[in-house]
Amino acid sequence: MTQQEKIQQEIEETLKSLDGVKRAEANPYLFTRIKARMNKRTGAWERTFSFVSKPLVALAVLALVMAMNGWAFFGTTSNEIPDNLTAESENAVMPVFANEYQVVASVDNYDYVENGNK
Amino acid sequence: MINETELIERLKEGDETAFKTIVEQWQNMVYNTILGIVQNETEAEDLAQDVFIKVFEKIGTFKGDSKFSTWLYRIATTTALDHLRSKKRKKRFGFLQSLSGTSGEEKEQIPDFNHPGVSLDNKERAAVLFKAIEELPENQKTAYTLHKLEGLSYRDVSEVLNTTVSAVESLMSRANQNLRKQLEDYYNKHYR
Repeated sequence: MTQQEKIQQEIEETLKSLDGVKRAEANPYLFTRIKARMNKRTGAWERTFSFVSKPLVALAVLALVMAMNGWAFFGTTSNEIPDNLTAESENAVMPVFANEYQVVASVDNYDYVENGNK
Repeated sequence: MINETELIERLKEGDETAFKTIVEQWQNMVYNTILGIVQNETEAEDLAQDVFIKVFEKIGTFKGDSKFSTWLYRIATTTALDHLRSKKRKKRFGFLQSLSGTSGEEKEQIPDFNHPGVSLDNKERAAVLFKAIEELPENQKTAYTLHKLEGLSYRDVSEVLNTTVSAVESLMSRANQNLRKQLEDYYNKHYR
């Protein structure tokens, strides 16, 4: 028998090696482990929920939300545009505003349209 | 003894005893399927736990269009394949890291997985075969595992994979061809 024939025979034997294989058996405590994992997960949620639902924590969160609302409402009124704002002072404010809010005025595009219309 | 339909209905209601019965009844089937795909006993046990937790959480989506075992096989194979994909990603990331580090050499693949259901005289050969199965594309690996390790007929495999019997026949034929090729390479290198 040549080497190649021996290899072919070995391949056939190997392919048959799973014939009649028995089913592997799971850990007999699988259910206990599953339950432990599920309880751990539920426990974590319950702990979070019970902490959040404590009256002291709930009141503190409520107070914080109200304080933030108050700050958002009253804090912004002081930044209102003054009544005596003139056209000149407005022109002076606009570049600062544009710079602050990253407004990119594409002047070139307007020029292009204007030139195109000419 | 409670029948399958009643058991599922009770599980849908969150009955823990029904869940326990389901786990005990199908744990070997789930574990064996996963073990065949991931080829690692510790990982297979963790994944089998994941599968049953998914069953408990998703039982409401089981409509009964297919057999419960088919649905279970689908969850088990998907979970095992997802795990392999995630392992592969980590391996690739590790390889990229090694490129910038010291070690970049490729390790030789040594057959090291021994399926507990294989008879003693076939252990060595089966380990070589499992190494070759590991290299198969996902769908061929799944079909081969379900047919060879779980003893499912081509029809049952086609139901799990949601495909036709002829598609499974084709998958099995390609899997056998690929395995032969890999075994030939292996024995050409290692045959004494």
